[in-house]
Amino acid sequence: MNDKQLQDFVSYLIKNRHNVFSHTDDDGEISIKKISSGKDFVLCPKRPLYSFKKFFLPPCQKMMEFSGDTTTLNRSPNVKIVLLGLHFYDLKALTLINQVYNKDPHFQKKLRNAIVIGQSPVPAELEDYQKFEKEVLEHLKFDIFLEAKSHDKQKSFRIFTGSEDGQRLLDGFGYRDYENIEYVGPVPKKGLGPINSMLIEKVKKSCGSKIWKELSKKCTDCGKCTIVCPTCFCFKIKDEIKKDEIVRSREWDSCFYEEFSEIAGGHKFLDSTEKRIYNYYDHKFVRIPEEYEMPGCVSCGRCTEVCPAGIDLRENLKRILEEN
Amino acid sequence: MKNQYEPISTSIVKIETLSPINKLFTLQIKDEQTRNVFKFRHGQFFILSVPGFGEAPFGFCSSPTIKETFQVSVDKRGSLTSKLFELKVSDGIGIRGPYGNGFDRKKIKNRNLVLIAGGCGLSPLRTIIQDANLHPDKFQNIQIFYGCRNSELLSFKKDYKKWSKNMEMNLTVDTPDKTWSDNVGVVTDLLTPEKIKKDAVAILVGPPIMYKFVIQKLIALGLSDDDIYVSLERRMHCGIGICQHCALVGGKYVCTDGPLFSYAEIKDKPEGI
Repeated sequence: MNDKQLQDFVSYLIKNRHNVFSHTDDDGEISIKKISSGKDFVLCPKRPLYSFKKFFLPPCQKMMEFSGDTTTLNRSPNVKIVLLGLHFYDLKALTLINQVYNKDPHFQKKLRNAIVIGQSPVPAELEDYQKFEKEVLEHLKFDIFLEAKSHDKQKSFRIFTGSEDGQRLLDGFGYRDYENIEYVGPVPKKGLGPINSMLIEKVKKSCGSKIWKELSKKCTDCGKCTIVCPTCFCFKIKDEIKKDEIVRSREWDSCFYEEFSEIAGGHKFLDSTEKRIYNYYDHKFVRIPEEYEMPGCVSCGRCTEVCPAGIDLRENLKRILEEN
Repeated sequence: MKNQYEPISTSIVKIETLSPINKLFTLQIKDEQTRNVFKFRHGQFFILSVPGFGEAPFGFCSSPTIKETFQVSVDKRGSLTSKLFELKVSDGIGIRGPYGNGFDRKKIKNRNLVLIAGGCGLSPLRTIIQDANLHPDKFQNIQIFYGCRNSELLSFKKDYKKWSKNMEMNLTVDTPDKTWSDNVGVVTDLLTPEKIKKDAVAILVGPPIMYKFVIQKLIALGLSDDDIYVSLERRMHCGIGICQHCALVGGKYVCTDGPLFSYAEIKDKPEGI
């Protein structure tokens, strides 16, 4: 598919699905916006600071409402959307969240109503990922994937489909030169691989070591890293009494907030920054890999970019591997 | 797709005041069909909610063999429990569950049982106590050790006489009043080699500080890590292993793997006990 055909395809999506969200470039600032023309989107290695997470797990989502003795579950209308341009690591994050939320009706509805279009250009440091062959794509959740044939100019694309929805859209547009890749589940045959397996042991071994004390002196518990992280999925459920109804909703939560582990009576199990930072790494590099055979970090670098204290996750992992 | 967060509509059928801060609620699921398929095991819990006041996890406190209704004992501590204290018989609440791994009764087959409770910890152990009282043939020897700050706070006082017929009751309080003639001091002091039956499995429910000392004592008495069970309390929102509030550092979720764990399972977890 060439550049022009891709623009036409995006225009076709806007015409058919209306709600098409894509990376846009405002003077070098990449963000995700609703686009109204096939010319508005950009496919580029730079990623936005905020990922596509909010489209699947909204920051605040109504779950049900109560009025008198009746409980009404939130049956929001099926709004079909297209998400265009997810990078490899955001597709990995979506694949992981799909595993964690596989029985969650709210997430599954959002996923069902979204057409996910992935793209291959990635930042230079992730060039290993550029071999988008079958054995990589078959473990990712997507509907359509655009592999740039020439990384410099991005003038033509090899098109893969990962679902019947993706095939239907391309067929409807009148493009048939695509290859279908069947999703075979999130975990490759080789499982976690040597580095991620080693990280589980090394992070466990590092518990209580000086790195966490040092990091706790820098970290301000602001929780920004958890907000931008495409795999951070913690939530809290809360009730709100409104004028005519009572609403139960779920909201993003952050394990860096003090009340995260607080129980009735006021006791907090994660009662220091040191314990909270360790818990964050434990979740991403021990608990998720052990539970889902996938790493809990997709190496997007957003946490490092956003951290006001200059904490660099990649540096910390290097230290953990070296010092333990 | 089943919505796991949908509360089951439930009625309060009886309210008993057990102590100045504790009430016992007898609950019945409104829909007959749902009620008939609702089953729980020892060691499981459920999430109770009152619209507008949120949700919180509570242990069952009646025998799982009792059909039609179940009970929960509630200490007045926060906004949800304060609201519960205002409710009356026939008022409605929501429940979801049962959740948790439960306690496999095979683990205590032909074993003596030592139940150790502190404060409001007697409540979840009452599922076993009541079961054993109704079906003594299912259990071996049961010893109960229960400690509280003062005698006023002791839960289920009116049950003790009934329980004593089939079980050995040992009570202690930290600060006795003039009427108290039983043990004084912490529950740990009651656990002596002469007292504890041989080949026992211990189940502990109480505050973390109690666990630390009681576990030390039980190990000194020769119990293995596999034969000591502790119930862990954590903040919970989902109850199904997603939200991360009840995660134990190093792996395991209190909601899906617990809340009862053998000491062997959690002794290496940094913040376990």
